[in-house]
Amino acid sequence: MQVRRVIESDHVTGWALAFPAVLLIVIFGIVPIVWSAIMSFQRNNLVAPPVWIGLENYRALSKDPLFKTSVAHSVIYTVLFVPISVAGGLVTAVALNRRIRGVRFYRTAVFVPVVVSTIATAIMFLWLFDPTFGLANWLLGKVGLGPYGFFDSVNGALYSIVGMTVWGWIGFDVIIYLAALQGIPQELVEAAEIDGAGSWGLFRSVTVPLLGPATLFLVVWSTINALQLFDEVYFLTRGGPGTATYVIVFYLYSLAFSQGIAGYAAAMAYVLFAAIMVLTVVQLLIGKRTVYYAS
Amino acid sequence: MTGQPLAATAHEVEHLRKRERRFLFSPWHLVLIPIAIAMLIPLVWMLVTSLQTLGETRQYPPTLVPHTLQWKNYSDVLRLAPFGQWFLNTTIVTVAVVIGNLLFCSLAGYAFARIKFFGREVVFILVLATLMIPFQVVMIPTFLIVRKLGLIDTLGALIVPNLAGAFGIFLLRQFFRTLPVELEEAARIDGASRLGVLFKIVLPLSGPALATLAVITFLWTWNDFLWPLITIYSPSHYTLQLGLTTFQGAHQTVMNLLMAANVMSMIPVLLLFFIAQRYFIRGIATTGLKG
Amino acid sequence: MADITFDHVTKSFSGEVFALDDLTLHVPDGQFLILVGPSGCGKTTALRIVAGLERPTMGDVRIGEHSMNGVSPRDRDIAMVFQNYALYPHMTVFKNLAFGLKERHTPKDEIKRRVGEVSAMLGLDEMLKRRPAQLSGGQRQRVAMGRALVREPKAFLMDEPLSNLDAKLRVQMRAELKRLHQQLGITTVYVTHDQVEAMTLGERVVVMSAGKAQQIGTPQEVYRQPANLFVAGFIGSPAMNLLRGTVMDGHVVAGDLTFPCGDLGTQDVVVGIRPDCMTPLTGGRPTVEFQVDVVEPLGEQVVVHGSVAGSNVHSGAEEMEEIPLAIEGSRAAATAVFEATSEPSPGDRLRLGVTPERIHLFDAHTGDAIEQTGKWGAG
Repeated sequence: MQVRRVIESDHVTGWALAFPAVLLIVIFGIVPIVWSAIMSFQRNNLVAPPVWIGLENYRALSKDPLFKTSVAHSVIYTVLFVPISVAGGLVTAVALNRRIRGVRFYRTAVFVPVVVSTIATAIMFLWLFDPTFGLANWLLGKVGLGPYGFFDSVNGALYSIVGMTVWGWIGFDVIIYLAALQGIPQELVEAAEIDGAGSWGLFRSVTVPLLGPATLFLVVWSTINALQLFDEVYFLTRGGPGTATYVIVFYLYSLAFSQGIAGYAAAMAYVLFAAIMVLTVVQLLIGKRTVYYAS
Repeated sequence: MTGQPLAATAHEVEHLRKRERRFLFSPWHLVLIPIAIAMLIPLVWMLVTSLQTLGETRQYPPTLVPHTLQWKNYSDVLRLAPFGQWFLNTTIVTVAVVIGNLLFCSLAGYAFARIKFFGREVVFILVLATLMIPFQVVMIPTFLIVRKLGLIDTLGALIVPNLAGAFGIFLLRQFFRTLPVELEEAARIDGASRLGVLFKIVLPLSGPALATLAVITFLWTWNDFLWPLITIYSPSHYTLQLGLTTFQGAHQTVMNLLMAANVMSMIPVLLLFFIAQRYFIRGIATTGLKG
Repeated sequence: MADITFDHVTKSFSGEVFALDDLTLHVPDGQFLILVGPSGCGKTTALRIVAGLERPTMGDVRIGEHSMNGVSPRDRDIAMVFQNYALYPHMTVFKNLAFGLKERHTPKDEIKRRVGEVSAMLGLDEMLKRRPAQLSGGQRQRVAMGRALVREPKAFLMDEPLSNLDAKLRVQMRAELKRLHQQLGITTVYVTHDQVEAMTLGERVVVMSAGKAQQIGTPQEVYRQPANLFVAGFIGSPAMNLLRGTVMDGHVVAGDLTFPCGDLGTQDVVVGIRPDCMTPLTGGRPTVEFQVDVVEPLGEQVVVHGSVAGSNVHSGAEEMEEIPLAIEGSRAAATAVFEATSEPSPGDRLRLGVTPERIHLFDAHTGDAIEQTGKWGAG
């Protein structure tokens, strides 16, 4: 009778149901987080037993010129990607938030790129931006621009990646903004119209402030993702030409899995993590002051 | 003799008003058309190129319309590379991960939502914490763990670590909490066990949330690149994303075949998108709300 | 400072559903006009058309002498108070009040002055720095009013502004509104579904149903001389009793009630008697036997529900969920209101007298009121 009560108790049942998922997350989530922290204090080549070296890795990071280059590139990329995709997403969402003919077609056209994988996108743009045979140079030539080297150009490669990833992700911003726009009560818009607001006045004084939470989310989310840029760099440029597109995660990857310098890579990963946390907190704090939340 | 019947309830009028089409052509089209073109050009160009001959691709100015449609490019891809194998691998992994998530996240999500058990709050916070850690932080140790388990270079490496994700647990927990708890209480009084309540009452009512989770998990798993890159070495075990990167030759890439391969790799996701557009959008919007 | 004219205004959807059917109406400058009727009757549609938030399918609206065809809301110089107030949640009360003026590039000192005036008038001075979420329902309502007042527009449009307030506050605000109108004299069009509100607030009332104006007149006119069955059944609480009747030999017969009516030929009619016209005073008046069912004491008066001989007629103004009282056989439900001195009990059979000058007659087929000579106020 006692045993039965125990087996049927909420504690046992709860744990039984949660156990598989929690176990998986502990093994493949929590343990790696801790292990990675430990690794960052070791010299580890993934084969031989690791050696404890304390803060060596972190000190080396601060002196590593390639790391500094990678950080610079990641920052440039983020500083371009986030405002362009968020602002572009806002404008596009406003344009799509109307009852005009064919709006479903336009919405689908904007959403499809989000669904396509990073590699598939990179392949399409590899071809589109081909310096010799690509359609982009041909079209640009028609309006008197170019030809450009795109991914082959030392100066243009990073910006080409910005353009490509904006294409691939702007639909995400549009989806979020559309949902938020539809949350603005129609009465507010009507009241503002009657009060005398023109289209711009309405946008500036009512729409944008009320979209504050969505904007904050998109800025935070886009920043976190931008700092983790990898797939496109690996496939298209391998960090090149030269080191023109070396970004943090690409450097990290090549250190750990091409060169087997895993401890150092782990330290770099933690620095990236810390940077992301700090940036996120800063953005959220700024958001708290400036963003109005509907209660 | 009765008074006059109401022409329309206020609700109907509101509904009709919303459906009222304004202009057929509005200035906004001038904004939307260029945007739509910009979004579609890469996709359309990929499709066109996939139907060209190799000679046509190596022309400048580019061949806009292929002389004949080279459907054989598609069969060539299947012949010249283990594309079919890659497709199968990706399908197996994706289906397994989706099923795993639906199952394990339902169980865990329900436990977190409705069952008070020892340490529930702490464990949930831990689970949530993993959502905030960038993958790069955990990928090296995860690689080592998977290696220890002997799963490197097998599909298991792609399946096992992803069988249950924090995202799914969070999504379903939040959803389960919106269901009226009285339904479950009534079922338990009627004699159902906790598990029975979950499978007979809660899950049947959770269609939209489960569909959203399935669709998002499918998308993420099908498109994943970094993890397969790290753990899979043999071409016969590649996923599609990994396999596509091998089409880049040391010399000039065979673009028409690469584009054909690309098109084929996208088809399942595009199909799913068109069928289940609602759930994709809802899934993405949910990440926004939780943020 | 402007009159409003509706000129055959119609709003239909695909030619089938008519939200508004040929409304023609003139609101003189400075009048407080009320559009009243059940939900879906077209009153809100009419208001929104004046505001410019909706376009009429046919017909024209004029403010002053200017046609509003194709004029956007912001250029109409009108102000609107919404049912849910529509306050800008992210702006302080001050900014909410100032918004319209700011959008019209009013100089800063002018804005300060006007907002200060209105804020003092409505008692909002302490709340100027707060946000709508921090205000109570009544305070929000006043801010919504203030936002409209600050604009000094040609006309006020109000869409059920009091319906979200609790009963006591509603009564208070009604008086405030009346006072404000007396003070400022701005043309006002006010929409409500509450006929008590319509009667107490309006200078002139438009009773609407199914997109059509059923009657336009002062509250008194609409109460004492309802133009048709709908108006008769809609205005007045408790609702007018409506019984089937026939005219024979210069008399109307409805159940066991008989009274002379002059020369009306032979026809079917509907007899309308307001509950307060059926009282225990029977001397020299037509009488009817009333069987008491339910008694509701109301202080000085008592409301008695029961039945009389005959059968009921529906006015079309009944609530959709109204459950018909279970009345046996060939009897009609009826309500009477009289002094509480004679307190009846359920089951009593009373003989009630009916004030003959206040009996209404309606054509049984068209529902229109039948003109009777010799009645007070009747033409």
